[in-house]
Amino acid sequence: MQDMLTNPTASLILAHADDKLMLGHVQSDWTGLGPILEEDIASSAMAQDDLSHALTLYEYLGNTYGLDPDVIAFERDPADYMCCDLTTQSDEFDWANSVVKRWLMAAFTQIAIERLSRHDDADLVARCGRILPEQNLQVTHLERWIKRLAQAGPESQARMQAALDRIAPLAGMVLEIPGRLVNDDDGYYCGREEIFKQWTDQLQITLQDAGLAATFTLPDRNVEGGRRGKHADHFHEQLTEMTEVRRIEPGAAW
Amino acid sequence: MSGASNPSQPMDPTGHEDPEKLAEFEQRIADGVLIEAGDWMPDAYRMGMLGMAEHHANSEIIGALPEGEWITRAPSMRRKLALTAKVQDEVGHGQMLYRVSQELGKSRDDMLRDLVTGKTKYHNCFNYPAPTWADIAMIQWLIDGAAIMNQKTLADGAYGPYVRTMNRINMEEAFHFKSGEDMVLTLMSGTPGQKKMTQEAFDRWWPVSLMFFGPADKPNAESRPPMRWRMKVERNDSLRQRFVNRFAPAAQDLGLTVNVVTKDDKGYVTSATPDEALMLDEATGNWSFTQPDWDEFWRVIRGNGPCNQHRLSLRRFSYEQGGWVRRAITSGTVSTPPAA
Repeated sequence: MQDMLTNPTASLILAHADDKLMLGHVQSDWTGLGPILEEDIASSAMAQDDLSHALTLYEYLGNTYGLDPDVIAFERDPADYMCCDLTTQSDEFDWANSVVKRWLMAAFTQIAIERLSRHDDADLVARCGRILPEQNLQVTHLERWIKRLAQAGPESQARMQAALDRIAPLAGMVLEIPGRLVNDDDGYYCGREEIFKQWTDQLQITLQDAGLAATFTLPDRNVEGGRRGKHADHFHEQLTEMTEVRRIEPGAAW
Repeated sequence: MSGASNPSQPMDPTGHEDPEKLAEFEQRIADGVLIEAGDWMPDAYRMGMLGMAEHHANSEIIGALPEGEWITRAPSMRRKLALTAKVQDEVGHGQMLYRVSQELGKSRDDMLRDLVTGKTKYHNCFNYPAPTWADIAMIQWLIDGAAIMNQKTLADGAYGPYVRTMNRINMEEAFHFKSGEDMVLTLMSGTPGQKKMTQEAFDRWWPVSLMFFGPADKPNAESRPPMRWRMKVERNDSLRQRFVNRFAPAAQDLGLTVNVVTKDDKGYVTSATPDEALMLDEATGNWSFTQPDWDEFWRVIRGNGPCNQHRLSLRRFSYEQGGWVRRAITSGTVSTPPAA
């Protein structure tokens, strides 16, 4: 486990996998409770995509480091999870928060996984290649929801803007440098300004079309949050719930 | 997940129908012709099919709740994915069945509103607690197993849209059942603690499974509309017997004991003793068994079960919190949430 946690490339993959795990975890909890049956089904399918994307990345790391993917997913110390603050922020069971958060994450992840797919490991590239079409579908689907809800009258426009106001300040934390990459000057995150621009340019086009407004900020390289294991209380509650059954009989098959 | 065993059979053919049309309708059913939404049908048939499909749809989306509560606690990535997909299937079944109901003349919004205000019902089995992971295994194995048995007979009914929906649902239910079987097998191959958890969950769900098919039909059921018009095609007791014949020996093979239990008002078992009546009659191939507590069945169906309020309040919360989204995408044509 330590070999994986101290490897810069593995840290980067873990950051994306943990984002996906937490996104899928939270959205899967909406299954059966969505506002419209048809969208309940669609959003659950996207939650399953996110969980599957997390799993394929955990499997890749598991194969590389000789670890059970479930152990990677469920049995690390809380400080070794590298999901960003945007993913672990509670949506407070509010559909506007859910749509905004997932849209911001989906647009970022599309860019991030596309860059990860340029890696020189064929297995990793193939896994990213399977993620990307589904990721693209998520971005398209969520962009439509952002526009549709924002343009459907004053009530929903106000709810969408309020969700953006609440969530946008944390959005830049997707580009917080994961703990093990702080000194990785030659690596992926030296291009974070470029990624940030690509991502936020895309967001602003949609926001303009939707009639919404938000400002995004790239955090300083030294900012410490979820990607460096410094998680809000909400994450710890989520992790405790996620591992509740496994902890009853450690090591047992379920 | 759920079948549509509705214990009440209030429907009677009415005298106001055109006798020739009614005779032609009944002849079509006798000839095995499927009735379609645009065909002539007696009012009582339309109302009966609507009630049945709506009750079934309600059961699917309420049935998503007890298992949905365990998605966030599923103990492996594989189980988490499978359970999410399973609960999603149930929502999909609800969507399909509401579509069938809508064609019979009631709007989706009215149906959801009637559900959360308690005007319409859902299947009794979802008013019981699922306090452990093993309960999720039991719901998928026993309740989905019972639902498949029931719904296979409903797929032999006469109303085309409902029959086609049953066929689609049954294919997915078969996956749910296999998943449940795998979960039970894994748990019963596990640690002593896992086996104990599984037996306790089995004790909670066995009597609920027996009640699943509803109480015994009236003696003349075959001549009354629900069976005469092939809205249902098999007696509840017959389905229950087939269930016991299939699952009692399967449970024993897995190392589970079929117990007769008593429960407290929260649905938790207070005593469990082996069912002395449980035995195979070699001549008939039927297993004899102890009937569930039918007084409890009626208490729960009247709204006094362990989880009636919890399930309905969560469904209502979902309905209310999603109201603004529905109004947004329908340009305000759906109703506002009902007053608390």
